[in-house]
Amino acid sequence: MRRRNLIAAVFLLAIGIGYAVLTAHLPTRDIGSTTQPSFFPWVVAVLFLVLSAALLIQGLLPATSNAVPKAPDVAPTKYLWGGVAFVVYLAALPTLGFLAANVPFFLALMYLYGERRPLWLLGGSIGISLALFYLFRGVFLILLPSGILSGVIS
Amino acid sequence: MNPDIVDGFAQASMMSSLIATGIGSLLGLVVGMIPGMTISTGIIIVLPLTFVLEPTISIALLLGLYVSGMTGGSFSAILLNIPGTPSASATGLDGHPLAQRGEAGRALGLAITASFIGGMVSFAGLFFIAPLLAEIALRFQSPDLFSLVFFGLTIICSFAAKSVIKGLLSAVIGLMIVTIGQDPMMGSQRFTFGQVNLIAGIHFLTALIGLFAIPQLVDNFVELIGDKETRYEAARIKRVLPRWADLKRIRLPVAIGAPVGAFLGILPGAGGPIAAFISYDYTKRVSKNRDEFGKGAPEGIAAPESANNAVTGGALVPMMTLGIPGDPVTAILIGALLIHGLAPGPLLFVENGGFAFGVIFSFMYANFFNIVIGFLGLRLLVKVLATPNALLMPTIALLCVIGSYALRNNFFDVYVMFGFGLLGLAMRWLDMPVVPLLLALVLGRPLEEHLRVSLAASQGDPTIFFTSPFSVVFLGLAALSIFWSFYAEHRSRRLSDGATRQ
Repeated sequence: MRRRNLIAAVFLLAIGIGYAVLTAHLPTRDIGSTTQPSFFPWVVAVLFLVLSAALLIQGLLPATSNAVPKAPDVAPTKYLWGGVAFVVYLAALPTLGFLAANVPFFLALMYLYGERRPLWLLGGSIGISLALFYLFRGVFLILLPSGILSGVIS
Repeated sequence: MNPDIVDGFAQASMMSSLIATGIGSLLGLVVGMIPGMTISTGIIIVLPLTFVLEPTISIALLLGLYVSGMTGGSFSAILLNIPGTPSASATGLDGHPLAQRGEAGRALGLAITASFIGGMVSFAGLFFIAPLLAEIALRFQSPDLFSLVFFGLTIICSFAAKSVIKGLLSAVIGLMIVTIGQDPMMGSQRFTFGQVNLIAGIHFLTALIGLFAIPQLVDNFVELIGDKETRYEAARIKRVLPRWADLKRIRLPVAIGAPVGAFLGILPGAGGPIAAFISYDYTKRVSKNRDEFGKGAPEGIAAPESANNAVTGGALVPMMTLGIPGDPVTAILIGALLIHGLAPGPLLFVENGGFAFGVIFSFMYANFFNIVIGFLGLRLLVKVLATPNALLMPTIALLCVIGSYALRNNFFDVYVMFGFGLLGLAMRWLDMPVVPLLLALVLGRPLEEHLRVSLAASQGDPTIFFTSPFSVVFLGLAALSIFWSFYAEHRSRRLSDGATRQ
């Protein structure tokens, strides 16, 4: 945990400095006694830097009983594939539209969560994607873009 | 009689409101029951569906989910020894041993009954205390409100984290995010980088979905694998309605749990788990049957269950009267009200008194639905425990994406949601709590507004925060809560270091 705290503190300090630099470049207004738009961000920046520095100092101090949480017993590739599935899905979403993108995404997630039966994979991904799509469009009146299927979907 | 009370009762008693409360209760029992799903996540997923509904109906649905979610959490604690919600952890201590003795129905019936009594006691507290507190809060000026919001933020940071520094850092990250978009006083753009989508700021709900739901999806890669047999066993339940002898046995634990829960619910940050364990512990000390605790004592189920359900009404008190959330769920409810153009706080009782009392009466109905649906649908509901993760989790993922998009019909919000999901995972890796960040997202804007209005009124003189007794008390309490948290953290480290050396 100490090593994590150190890494995080350095990273947070960098973010804090970046935030402070951006705050310094915020526009100023000349309206009587009212505080500037940068006033609150400055307060936040100072607090953030002080707390990050405190985390850094805590990380440098002799080790305490802060135990490192036990790593979950899951293959790292599973996380990787989950992340890849999400990123590809989000990238394809505006072009493919909700229905065409949801079906393969759902299928991929079902597979990652341990489903291996082909019929369940197909039935679940197509059935639930269709149900949610029409539920939101028909009942909740949220017009989800249909993308490449816009000619097919009413 | 106060016409707002009559109006509120009428609003909550409308057929549409009652149906919404009932659906919310049903969803709450299901969501609470599923280990790995929190009430917060359930509400976040349902919230986008309520955008098209009237505020009264929308809040009725969410309250149903909140109240019944607490009870649902005890179902899996009793049947599987896996608490569906953190608040149900204490219930499993005696509920599961009772279920193992073949009396699962008895344990569940006691949990539902105690939940109802706890909920109704907290309804009484909410009904009588909230309007009075709102009346007092109407006297607050900007400096008082700043100090109050600041106190609300600090006490939750202190409670939520094992490390005070990490809790405060989490809150400050939330405040940083709040500064994105238009300045609330002058309308100047801050940190928008020319991006039109950022002018209105980061939507509270987008951040919420990412912070809560994405880490939960990742968690469920791990949880519950290989639990199918245990889940299937859970479906065998006999008599559910409690016997008279059991009802007599739970009088004392409920009399302890309900007021303790209602009181702790009012205190921001304390929450259901603390109330449940305190009630359990105190009941064990005063009970004649203390030797049975841990082996399936009915008192050990009733005390924590009445307490955690009583917390719900208590938590609504600061939320409705001061605009200060008592726990993550009430923070989300504040967001839900804001989406409908209603700002919780003392003015809610003045400007929308009927609505405010409507919320209170919907809370009462939610408790009725909780006990009715709980008893009538229990055998069917527990079958949800057999739903495979492979169907549930992808459905949640799709609901998160659609929910983020539906906020402003914008793909940008979907990407922001995903970004917050990564932030939530990073914070978990660092053992940093997300609850302070969430509360900072809710309270950040009023904090800045009251700070700057106060300073503008005093020509920049910061002593204005020490001129009002209210403000001084709130600032004093904030300082005390931070100081106490540092002290408690230091003490617990010394204790555990000592234990390690031995």
